[in-house]
Amino acid sequence: MAEEKVDVLIIGSGHSGGMAAKVLTEKGISCLMLNAGPVVDFKRDRELKPAYELPYRGFNMPGRLPHVFQANEFNANTWVDEKEVPYTYTPQQSYNWVRVRLFGGRSLFWARQSFRLSDYEFKAKDHDGFGENWPITLADLAPYYSRVEAIFRVRGHADGLPQYPDGNFVVDDSPWSGSMQRFIAAGKKMNVPVCKARSAMGVDGLASSINLLLPDAFATGKLTAVPNVVVRQLTVDKNTGLADGALFVDRHSRREMSVKARVVVLAAGCLESTRLLLNSGLENSKGAGLANSSGVLGHYLIDQVYGPGIVCSVPEARDGKATPGLMGGSALIPRFRNITTKSKNFIRGYALNVYSSTRPMDPRNFADYGESLQKKMDSYEGSGFSINMMGEVLAHYDHSVSIDKKVVDAWDIPVLHVDTKYTDNEFNMARDAVDTSIAMTEEAGFEVLSKNYDPNPPGYSIHEQGTCRMGDNPKTSVLNKWNQSHDIKNLYVVDASSFVSGGWQNPTMTILALSMRASEHLAEQMQLRNI
Amino acid sequence: MRRRDFVKAIVAVPVAARTMFGQQSAAPQSAATAALPPAAETAPTATHDKGFFDYKAHPIAASVPDGFATTQANFFNERQMATLRKLCDVLLPPLNGYPGATQAGAPEFIDFLIGASPADRQHMYRAGLDRLNANAEKQFHVPFARVDAAQADKLIRPWLRTWMPDHPPKERFASFINLAHQDIRTATMNSQAWSIAATATGERAPGIGLYWSPIDPDIQMYV
Repeated sequence: MAEEKVDVLIIGSGHSGGMAAKVLTEKGISCLMLNAGPVVDFKRDRELKPAYELPYRGFNMPGRLPHVFQANEFNANTWVDEKEVPYTYTPQQSYNWVRVRLFGGRSLFWARQSFRLSDYEFKAKDHDGFGENWPITLADLAPYYSRVEAIFRVRGHADGLPQYPDGNFVVDDSPWSGSMQRFIAAGKKMNVPVCKARSAMGVDGLASSINLLLPDAFATGKLTAVPNVVVRQLTVDKNTGLADGALFVDRHSRREMSVKARVVVLAAGCLESTRLLLNSGLENSKGAGLANSSGVLGHYLIDQVYGPGIVCSVPEARDGKATPGLMGGSALIPRFRNITTKSKNFIRGYALNVYSSTRPMDPRNFADYGESLQKKMDSYEGSGFSINMMGEVLAHYDHSVSIDKKVVDAWDIPVLHVDTKYTDNEFNMARDAVDTSIAMTEEAGFEVLSKNYDPNPPGYSIHEQGTCRMGDNPKTSVLNKWNQSHDIKNLYVVDASSFVSGGWQNPTMTILALSMRASEHLAEQMQLRNI
Repeated sequence: MRRRDFVKAIVAVPVAARTMFGQQSAAPQSAATAALPPAAETAPTATHDKGFFDYKAHPIAASVPDGFATTQANFFNERQMATLRKLCDVLLPPLNGYPGATQAGAPEFIDFLIGASPADRQHMYRAGLDRLNANAEKQFHVPFARVDAAQADKLIRPWLRTWMPDHPPKERFASFINLAHQDIRTATMNSQAWSIAATATGERAPGIGLYWSPIDPDIQMYV
């Protein structure tokens, strides 16, 4: 069969690819979406089971998914197995690359925290001189954030803080629990704002590409979606230098195929998109990757610091004595460091997730065992109060990914090598986050039971960003402010690889807003016949 | 359309398609050849899956072996296993109508689990059990398996720590004691015996979760 040229080839079906498909098809543009993994049948593929029916009694299968700390025996089959799709990393610098290749990608499983970046992130260099500014501001992206928040039904409360921009919320006017009120009062004494968390409610229990974006695209009749095909590399027209399609392989049979396209939109997830660009350029004269005249493709890898935190107990809630409304609820402390003051040993900042629990305590919070431990757990049940950090990671040139030509995945595609680590800025920030959490909870009269100062390995947050960053200068960035390649005008990269800095915020709302904005720009350019 | 009719319709499609394809054949079949049944026509459904289209599944009450069988412990040596059994008895005895770790088969399950684990975890367990036993011999002149409750407390309590998930204590022996404690509790509370006890006391059994089956697994993994 002769190859038919598709209008737009979208690689990836998660939040960024789903948004691109929705925007483009609703403007009448035909799209072909390729996804590396299968479609989930939510009835067939899931069932409630007791742990004792599983082969390893609820323990992870030993040795499986060693870098996916989120994995357990119940959900192990949803993650990418690194035996099938390996990656390498610099010795002593372990990296947790947490991946999902199911149709819909990681949009099926995200934590739904829904934040806007502020100009403290978009214009970070203006504040402290480090790194680069984004080529856009909050004002540029705000209209798109609003539309995304409406689609995802983000519940939140307007707080009027410049570092925690308000949005188009389903208003959260729920009352604070008593324990939270005490914590808020402690925060006021220390000039630390305690706000309502913001979260995507979604529809029918899901806030995913597959239920909020792709159905609209399919409804247009303009979207063709193909699961179980692994894209090997993009192809380029040698005469024009433009992207003209992709080579891909059937996941099951290993049948090699190709497709031609007028435009390519990469939305495979931050590091997979960069891997694809790097692999696509392996055979060129420089071997430096496609769309990489700047030489920064693969560089400036960032994520967010997760792991440091504390667990406390609210004394008045012990022994079943909690009064109604004392416990429960969550809060968010947005970044408060280096806004109006300057921290002595780190720049940028972190946020804190705060939870008041009515549930049993984790036994790890007590240095005890046997009957004595059980009595403590009975006594402390329903009194838990915990805080966890989400910290910004600075973008360094040498924190990077490249192709490891010595290792290939199950489809003979060269794998990614990750070379990154946290620096003193992240470690100092983590220490401040835990010490501040302890000070606030002690001020509130809570008992600190356990604490951890050590960040989880880089990548753990599943918020990898950068490596294909945007900017106004083609010599220092891969994409322009529309997520369009400086080098190849019919190539767009719409996932988090475009990020210049990451802040502390869950990146999902920003990914969605950027993809919406980029896709509308692409549609306009196609209508103007500029592409 | 009833499901049975729908299934029949699907089954009929390949036959119809073959008939249409046959009509396009340039060379007419001879009478003798045409009288023979098409060789491929009966092959796909004639044997093992015959009748399955009409079969309405009956539930099968499947069970697990833990309720009547014992896991054979064969990873730890005899002394290490005795130490592990004692550690299980001490850290999680029967309480409030719930089985202890031993009654839930936790020592044998952990022997199996660690035997299947990466080398560093195996080493941590073996070295940890050996050291616990050596400490008992040194302090009380008996194997750990024979210490009394007070002696066990003196051997274990100094090493207990509070810690958060993914961040166990950094000292090697403290890490073993606290991780083993966590493993023993998980192996016990996720056991069938614990689930039965929870049901008997009218509480919701722990360890029930949403299990994801392998989703369209890569067929090349099996060839």
